[in-house]
Amino acid sequence: MEIIGILTPLSVVLVFTGVMLGIVFGAIPGMTATMSIALFLPLTYALDMVDAIALLIGLYVGGISGGLVPAILLNIPGTPSSLCTTFDGFPMTQKGQGEKALKVAISASIIGGFFSLTILYFFAPLLSSIAIEFSSVEKFLIILFALTVIASISKGSLLVGIFSGVLGVFISLIGMFPDNNKLRMIPLGLEEQLYYGFALLPVLIGLFAIGQIIHEAEEGMKPAAHQNFDLSKNKKNKFTFKIFNGQLVNTIRSSVIGTFIGMLPGVGGSAASITSYSQTKNFSKKPEKLGTGEPEGLIASESANNGLIGGALIPLLSLGIPGDSTTAVLIGAFLLQGIQVGPLFITTNPDLWNGIVFSLIIANIVMFILMFFSIKYMAKIVYIPKHTIYPIIIVMCVVGSYAINSGVMFDVWTLLLFGFLGYLFMKIGVQIAPFLIGFILGRQSEKYFIDSLKGSNGDLMIFFTKGPIAIVLWVLILASVIYAIYDSRKTKKEKREERNSEASENPLNS
Amino acid sequence: MSDLLSLEITFSESHTIFPKIVLSILITLLILIIVRRIVTRIKEGKSKKFNFNFFIDNYDKPKFYGTIILLLGYGIIMEPIGFLLSSILFMFLIMLLFIGDLKRKSILLSLANSIITSVFIWFLFGQMFNITLP
Repeated sequence: MEIIGILTPLSVVLVFTGVMLGIVFGAIPGMTATMSIALFLPLTYALDMVDAIALLIGLYVGGISGGLVPAILLNIPGTPSSLCTTFDGFPMTQKGQGEKALKVAISASIIGGFFSLTILYFFAPLLSSIAIEFSSVEKFLIILFALTVIASISKGSLLVGIFSGVLGVFISLIGMFPDNNKLRMIPLGLEEQLYYGFALLPVLIGLFAIGQIIHEAEEGMKPAAHQNFDLSKNKKNKFTFKIFNGQLVNTIRSSVIGTFIGMLPGVGGSAASITSYSQTKNFSKKPEKLGTGEPEGLIASESANNGLIGGALIPLLSLGIPGDSTTAVLIGAFLLQGIQVGPLFITTNPDLWNGIVFSLIIANIVMFILMFFSIKYMAKIVYIPKHTIYPIIIVMCVVGSYAINSGVMFDVWTLLLFGFLGYLFMKIGVQIAPFLIGFILGRQSEKYFIDSLKGSNGDLMIFFTKGPIAIVLWVLILASVIYAIYDSRKTKKEKREERNSEASENPLNS
Repeated sequence: MSDLLSLEITFSESHTIFPKIVLSILITLLILIIVRRIVTRIKEGKSKKFNFNFFIDNYDKPKFYGTIILLLGYGIIMEPIGFLLSSILFMFLIMLLFIGDLKRKSILLSLANSIITSVFIWFLFGQMFNITLP
């Protein structure tokens, strides 16, 4: 594999651009890596597949990494996965060590990124060589497995999370069923527009971006509590790589946790950094200091959330299942180019596979160089006012939706409709991420379900009797359901205890 | 038993099987959620009044409704008057709305942002990449 033969100079430039834009997006609170990829999808239309994916990988890496800037400087996670970065990052900023904190986080990010890349490179081909043997029964069970993990990303009520996911499946079924070309569930008068159902991209950016903007309009577009901290007031306490001395185990452990949690479909970024943060706290020599501004905590959070990237790409590239909402959007990119992601992906598209790996390598290096040496200026991004950036984003969303099927006005209406729905969902508690995963996997789950039943003459037992792999998948499905129930009980209990202890501390307020 | 565990697949009706299953799961979940809510409410006693406010307290009415009206308006005027003009108009108005005053500086800023961004997007997507724009 020749790196020069696969990546053209244009793709290198695109990775670079992607990382830069991704950092900007990640750094603006409320804008996520997912959104940046969704917004730039239409642009990839005009590009080669390798170039397109280079840009998107750049955006992905940049977006996840950019989230650390507002997390450390403003105590607002720029992306959900940088939640734990705020725990130690912001206290360091308050102590005048902001620049040091940023540099620790950036260095941890690149280590996590490279670790997960290595795992991706060796593990994805292996997994897909197993998955090639899968029939529609196993494929259906894998999708079912992916759908059950919706439960573990649901915040708050488990039932509502599952409901949101199933609702997504239901909405995705609107339109024509390819098996017998019959229409179903289309509101009267929209047969033509909804023949193929709602298009993924407008649904996605509508829910995420437009919904968020309407929500903030309701709150009056208040600027986030921007505080001006001197980034390196504390001159004596500068960043050196010596901080990483004695942190080897922590860094590796966090990268491993990030990568493996990333592999579980649907679990997502915040879970990765939360798990590794809590493990670091468990193993730390000075657990009581974590959360008061220790580089140790920063390393845990940031190496885990960049480890996630490679991890999340494993099920995507070997099974065709998105590991989180960001990779779900990446599926959209492949579909746009007419490429089927699944077990055959790596063997049938070796150039693209290598392109992805190389893009990841370059993106990580670019991310490090860009952020490490220009972090002082990058940090200013978080001060761009919302009233400037949001109108730009709306217009980008509209362009993206309109262009996705080369000029269908109905897609713009879909965007606006799902924008309002996204806002409504936030209000009534329907959760957007599970809904979206359901929406993306819905059609496929139907296809494999019906195919399996056609093969067995309608016998539902086929899902249990197909063979050992089916049994393993059932065990995984059960395990993930049980884990989700256990986890939701635990969080509820913790919340209740918190409330009780607060109540006992301030009896007057209760 | 074997009747319960098998489904009849008729070709002409196969498009309704899966939606029916999903719909019944949805309804079951909805009922479960409602039952759970009622049970918790009874457990917690009637001390807690049912107070669900759709909007947050003191929500910004002009910005909220303004945003919705402008979004709809943008969609309506886009095809008749074209992408470039409608985007400049839309961005200018929504940015003024978000800033929330009519000072000289705000108007100039909005004007600059809307024209620069719209022309840039129009040029980059429409002209350089040949992507269809309204």
